Amino acid sequence: MRDIIRMIVVLTLIGAASGLTLSVIHRVTAGPIEYQTIKFVKEPAVKKVLSGYDNDPILDREKITVGTDPRGNPIELTVFPAKKGGQTFAVAVEGTGKGFHGAIGVMVGISKEGVILDIGITSHSETPGIGSRVTGVEYTDRYKGLPAKKGVTVDAISGATYSSKGVVAAVNEAVSTVATFREEIF
Amino acid sequence: MAATLREEFTKGFWRTIPPFRLVLGLCPTLAVTTSGINGLGMGLATTFVLVFSNLFVSLLRRFIPTQVRIASFIVIIASFVVIVELVMQAYFYPLFKILGIFIPLIVVNCIILGRAEAFASKNGPVLSLADGLGIGLGFTLSLFVLGLIRELLGAGTLLEIPVMWASFAPFAFMLKPPGAFVALGILLAFMNLISQIQARKG
Amino acid sequence: MGEFLLLMVSAILVNNILLLRFLGNCPFLGVSRKMDTATGMGLAVIFVMTLAGMITWLVYRYLLVPLSLEYLRTIAFILVIATLVQFVEMVIQKAAPPLYEALGIYLPLITTNCAVLGVAIINVDERYDLITAIFFSFASACGFALALVLMAGLRERFALVAIPKAFEGTAIGLVTAGLIALAFSGFAGLV
Repeated sequence: MRDIIRMIVVLTLIGAASGLTLSVIHRVTAGPIEYQTIKFVKEPAVKKVLSGYDNDPILDREKITVGTDPRGNPIELTVFPAKKGGQTFAVAVEGTGKGFHGAIGVMVGISKEGVILDIGITSHSETPGIGSRVTGVEYTDRYKGLPAKKGVTVDAISGATYSSKGVVAAVNEAVSTVATFREEIF
Repeated sequence: MAATLREEFTKGFWRTIPPFRLVLGLCPTLAVTTSGINGLGMGLATTFVLVFSNLFVSLLRRFIPTQVRIASFIVIIASFVVIVELVMQAYFYPLFKILGIFIPLIVVNCIILGRAEAFASKNGPVLSLADGLGIGLGFTLSLFVLGLIRELLGAGTLLEIPVMWASFAPFAFMLKPPGAFVALGILLAFMNLISQIQARKG
Repeated sequence: MGEFLLLMVSAILVNNILLLRFLGNCPFLGVSRKMDTATGMGLAVIFVMTLAGMITWLVYRYLLVPLSLEYLRTIAFILVIATLVQFVEMVIQKAAPPLYEALGIYLPLITTNCAVLGVAIINVDERYDLITAIFFSFASACGFALALVLMAGLRERFALVAIPKAFEGTAIGLVTAGLIALAFSGFAGLV
């Protein structure tokens, strides 16, 4: 009996010490991790979809609350503004859609006048060589200059219908967010 | 004392160098050694976990009941792996992305559990530190050398600096998965050959 | 259904977990010297990996995500797998002694088989849904067993040929694995 108590006590102590240490380290690294993820994952896409700005859209990023999840916590969305002379003239916003294999993340650049400037794929796990063709400029260029209104449609790539649908859904999500929160963003 | 300390530290570099002499930890060895830098990064991450898990296992060896020792070792090792994951993600993001799934998999690297069970649970903290550091750096050295060889033959560069003559056509095979197996196999055979020659002389 | 077939072909042949993703190489070289040990290990891995893939997915989705503890997944998964292996061992020992005779000695080895943890992590990294995750775990394990059995078939014949002394043992095993991997990369265009 004493042995069993000792086993339980030792395991609990080790588990507690480990949990405590890890949660402290998690707190400390949370900020740097967010910055690194944005820098290496989002920055290339932001740079692709915005141009002609004189600020740093990554540094000036703003968080807007777009709703609440089932547990009542706010859902935040990061907006990357492009400014010239202190005036925001366009923003980059990310939307997600369901592709053939899981979610596709798409960064969408939208001007103040309500035109899609360009899109860039931030994350996907589509089949290499088939679904992954949606990341090519031949496809993303098809979105350039379309009005940023609900119901954006673009011809799908033949053989990559699901992936194309995923991108269209993601673009529409980003477009409708910007339309809904227009006042806050610009 | 000083003699055994040096002995425990240096054995990791030749006599029991992983993954050649201790055939353990092959997965990361094969998967991430597409360049010298990647091999080095993986090796150092593993060394960090090995050194600290050895130290803590050794310090706690009298408190941990034998029946639950493996479970305790796994918790200790996994905690350090999570620390490495978080720190690399925060400060070495590109390397973190390249090494990918093999960082969390350090936890099942048999070298680490093997050293905890075979050495740290029976020896004092100082010797265990020396053992962890020696074996860890030996592993790092192996990965670095294998990475350099594959990078040189597969891409014609050393640490991303082109070193081969202009008309050199890289064997892309060396960077592909089959090349990893073949390169490691030949390197291991080469080490066996050296040992055999040494044995004949001695 | 077509989607699952594609996933199956991809996991077994095109992205074979052992030869092309490099997961689970220690048991691959350790237990591939004889055909019957290889089959035993292969079956044990199929059984445990499918179960582990399902349970770790559920733990991640319904325990770690709601508590925002995703960063603890490595530690949580390895504990789940270690416990699962012990549990499976006990159940099989009681319920099916003949099966225990056949697979028993391979079960403890599976805890430190990085293929099991690797597949669990791939399942959540790729954001598979539950059915896909179970299917992917099963298919990956079949790929593992296939490669292991092929390798054992070849290694049994090493006894009949003269191998240079320096290449004996693991070295020739690695080179052979390289050649099998080369054959498998021929499937690359399939999916």
